[in-house]
Amino acid sequence: MTTMDSPAPVIRRPQQLAPGTVAVVVRLGLIACIAVLLSSLSPTFATTDNLLNILRQASLLFLVASGLTLVIIAGGLDLSIGANLTLCACLSAAAIKATSQPTAGIAVALGCGVLVGLTNGVLINRVKIPPFLATFGMLWVAQGIAYWFMAGQVVYGFSPAFRFFGSGFWLGVPVPIWVMLVTGACGVIFLSRTTIGREVYLMGANEAAAVLSGIPVARRRTLLYMVSGLMAGLAALIYVARLNAAEPGIGEPLLLPAIAAVLVGGTSLFGGSGGLFRTLLGATILTLIVNALNLLNVSATWHPFVTGAIVVLAVLADAAVNRGARR
Amino acid sequence: MKTRHVKHLRLLSAALISCGLSAAPALAAGEVIAAFTKNQVDPHFEGVRAGVEQMAKKMNATIRQYVPTKPNNITEGMSQLEDVGVTRPNLVLFMPIDPKAQLPTIKRLIESGTPVLNYNDKAGDAPYLAFVGQDDYKLGYDIAKMLFDHLGGKGNVVILEGIKGSNTGDERKRGFDAALKEYPNIKLLASQPANFQRLLGLQVMENLIQQHSEINGVIAAADASALGAAEALKAAGRGNVAVVSINGVPEAVEAVKNGGLLAIAEFNGFKIGCVATEIGLKAIRGEAMPKRVVIPGAIITKANHSEWLVPFQQRTCPAAADYAGH
Repeated sequence: MTTMDSPAPVIRRPQQLAPGTVAVVVRLGLIACIAVLLSSLSPTFATTDNLLNILRQASLLFLVASGLTLVIIAGGLDLSIGANLTLCACLSAAAIKATSQPTAGIAVALGCGVLVGLTNGVLINRVKIPPFLATFGMLWVAQGIAYWFMAGQVVYGFSPAFRFFGSGFWLGVPVPIWVMLVTGACGVIFLSRTTIGREVYLMGANEAAAVLSGIPVARRRTLLYMVSGLMAGLAALIYVARLNAAEPGIGEPLLLPAIAAVLVGGTSLFGGSGGLFRTLLGATILTLIVNALNLLNVSATWHPFVTGAIVVLAVLADAAVNRGARR
Repeated sequence: MKTRHVKHLRLLSAALISCGLSAAPALAAGEVIAAFTKNQVDPHFEGVRAGVEQMAKKMNATIRQYVPTKPNNITEGMSQLEDVGVTRPNLVLFMPIDPKAQLPTIKRLIESGTPVLNYNDKAGDAPYLAFVGQDDYKLGYDIAKMLFDHLGGKGNVVILEGIKGSNTGDERKRGFDAALKEYPNIKLLASQPANFQRLLGLQVMENLIQQHSEINGVIAAADASALGAAEALKAAGRGNVAVVSINGVPEAVEAVKNGGLLAIAEFNGFKIGCVATEIGLKAIRGEAMPKRVVIPGAIITKANHSEWLVPFQQRTCPAAADYAGH
């Protein structure tokens, strides 16, 4: 069995390239279609302001989804990102309030994120709980701590120095977009140019083969969950700095859109293929839909339907094109 | 330790007596009340819980709080209702997460002899002891009218709706629309869902700012969305746009004080909690009580805001009799 399976990833790589490019092209096409349609319907759509606006909104979703993308490529799943974001946001907001030092808040948010990720890794590797259950459990634990810590209150009002991360501009471009571009670029280089990055794909495609090739799978996995936690912590900072408030309900509504951004982007939920640029496209598509619905003043009744339909369409288009490519 | 046992024994005996003597209306103090709220996220429900606790303490009853760990989670809400069916408290204060789904269970609970009072939002048709809450339609209507008058009866406005399909959100929206009909020179530019959330309030407002160069007023269905929208307007250099909302949580009231928000229609969880507990307890103790109490909501502005800045724990419960005429 293993001798038959182990060469698979080696053969798989050149095959993967084509559908990967196809996935990106399909998404770019979809974005282009929505963009053309919108600019004909609304004169404000294709302005620099609105495009920066869309990217800034997409950046938060991308940050939450980026770490998740790595975990999913490696064949795992991280359901704790939303709750992790909540916890990090609440703790760091309180830390900033207590010390009036933005750096304290940054340290707490990133530290909290990594710690939750590390716990996920330990639960999965040492206690041998499947990723779905381990991170699902962490979702409740992190959420619970946040509820207890906040006791129904909201922490709000931060210094302009801290708020710069969320609402500031650098060279005319909002800071969250810079954060998205820098982390995205680092992630893309990590995945495509480093050995560990390539190992991530192998882990997701065929874990048994990865183990046999001498990859320290458990340690790599923990690392990825820690990165996922780190990104949730970073997203928490951007969130608090942008909205000038932290409340215990902020992360929960971001979990499903984050998973959707990864899947709409074209990363497989089964692991082994995908990428961060695709997640960026996925996040952009989802943000674009809301932007379009708002600009065109589509009735609230239709919002869930339209969003759902476009998500399904993106995945269907992907499947159809892939099927065509394989023939 | 010993006192705790004594307390438990007392509760137990009270419960036994109440089961055995369900025909006798008058009960000694020490009843157990199960109070349902929808989440631990929205400070509004923190207010409800604080009000319930204060009044229960004053009237010598014990409170068991039921809150889903996941916000507004219907599955948890249902299992908590079933739990109450087994533990049989003397009184249930109930607000629905999903009225249609929960109604049959509530009806069974009432049929089995547990008195239920419906508070905060309407939970459908069942033989409740009473309903205690506020009129969402009127809150929406009043705050919209207040904004339109502030704008001098003309201008461009935007509505940030609540969750489509939720009773609270839909009723408030109906109120906004009714006020709009009375002001022909107020133009509704857009009405989009912000789901009572802060992030969506911010992002939807950012999108609408792109589309509309002249916005004079914003009506939000809840404080969190209004605060998000005000943030977006300020960032876009349009801080002079008048934003109004419904609720009156301390953070939003502070924004009224600082000029971030123009006004808020008061949706006061603390008062609802107080009055519901008083009416419920008095009813099971055998007093004749009104079947429906609608607490009017004030319009909170810069002129009168200080009352709502007091933390919930330091407020004093109003008497139910104050609202008897409403």
